Amino acid sequence: MNGQNQENLKELFEQFFPPDQAASVLNDLQVVRKMLRENPAPEPERQLIAAIKYDIGQALAAPKRVWTFRTLAYRVAVAAAIIIVAAIGTQFLKKGPEKPSQIKYASIIPRAIWDSNDITVADADLAVLTAEVQQIEDEVQALQSGEKRRNGEGLIVEVETELIEIAGDFWKG
Amino acid sequence: MAKNDDLAQIIVGCKTGDSKCFAQIVDMYSSRCYGYFYRLTGNKDVSDDLLSELFVKLTEKMGTYKGGSFEGWLFRVASNIFHDYLRGKHRWTKLLDARKTQLELETTEPRWSDAEGIDKLQVQLARLDADTKELIMLRFYSQLSFKEIAEIRSEPIGTTLSKLHRGLKRLRELME
Repeated sequence: MNGQNQENLKELFEQFFPPDQAASVLNDLQVVRKMLRENPAPEPERQLIAAIKYDIGQALAAPKRVWTFRTLAYRVAVAAAIIIVAAIGTQFLKKGPEKPSQIKYASIIPRAIWDSNDITVADADLAVLTAEVQQIEDEVQALQSGEKRRNGEGLIVEVETELIEIAGDFWKG
Repeated sequence: MAKNDDLAQIIVGCKTGDSKCFAQIVDMYSSRCYGYFYRLTGNKDVSDDLLSELFVKLTEKMGTYKGGSFEGWLFRVASNIFHDYLRGKHRWTKLLDARKTQLELETTEPRWSDAEGIDKLQVQLARLDADTKELIMLRFYSQLSFKEIAEIRSEPIGTTLSKLHRGLKRLRELME
């Protein structure tokens, strides 16, 4: 049990220090040990030892009470949990899940669309969308027929005419 | 070997919660543990408290002793208690906005109210840093090997010996 008796200090110190330093550490250790022996620390007072032994007796008795209380508390908690779960389960089984009494169906498409022959009249959004589509179709047709190019040429003629008029006004003063 | 067998039987008794066995442990180790605490704190009142705490704590911790050096295990608990005490002091010192260096003085400087008990060695020990002082006291009072001490301190044995070397040299210089 006593570790110090089994260790060879000289050998140990020489593993970590140069030989002369190892000898110095060993010597310092012996001197300090001697100093500590010559200057013993005070002993604990008898009253203190008696008080400690009394406290130990109390401490050894206390855990049993704590254990009993804890065990009781755990048992009560577990029993309460089981009762609550059983009560909820019973209620649930008695009622069972609520079934729908009547299934109602509803359409997401406005009924007017189905009644009308003209969808665009029946639904305002569809009317707007249809108008936009129509406009795009017209523009595409115009591009395909070369109408746009001619319009562009017409604009250039107009600008040239205006420039001639401006130039005439300028020389006239 | 007979002594070891006796100790083993006492420990078994402690594990079964026998207060008489604990009382025997107190009788066997109170002197060394008290010396350890006293040399570290320099204060009798604090040493009284720490010693009480140690042995009462043993009643809770005895179940964690799984064999090996009992002294090593005992002084590991003692060392933890001392460090808890130091941390408590540290927190208190922080609350008082004291400087960190003041802590060491406060925790290690002997209380002069204990004047009759203060020897020159205790005065000089107070000048060592807490870590070095604990290392030397652990060696002297626990009677553990350096390998065991290094294990308690959770550091390589080379580090332990290096600190010991500096600490012993410093203490010798102070005592001369």
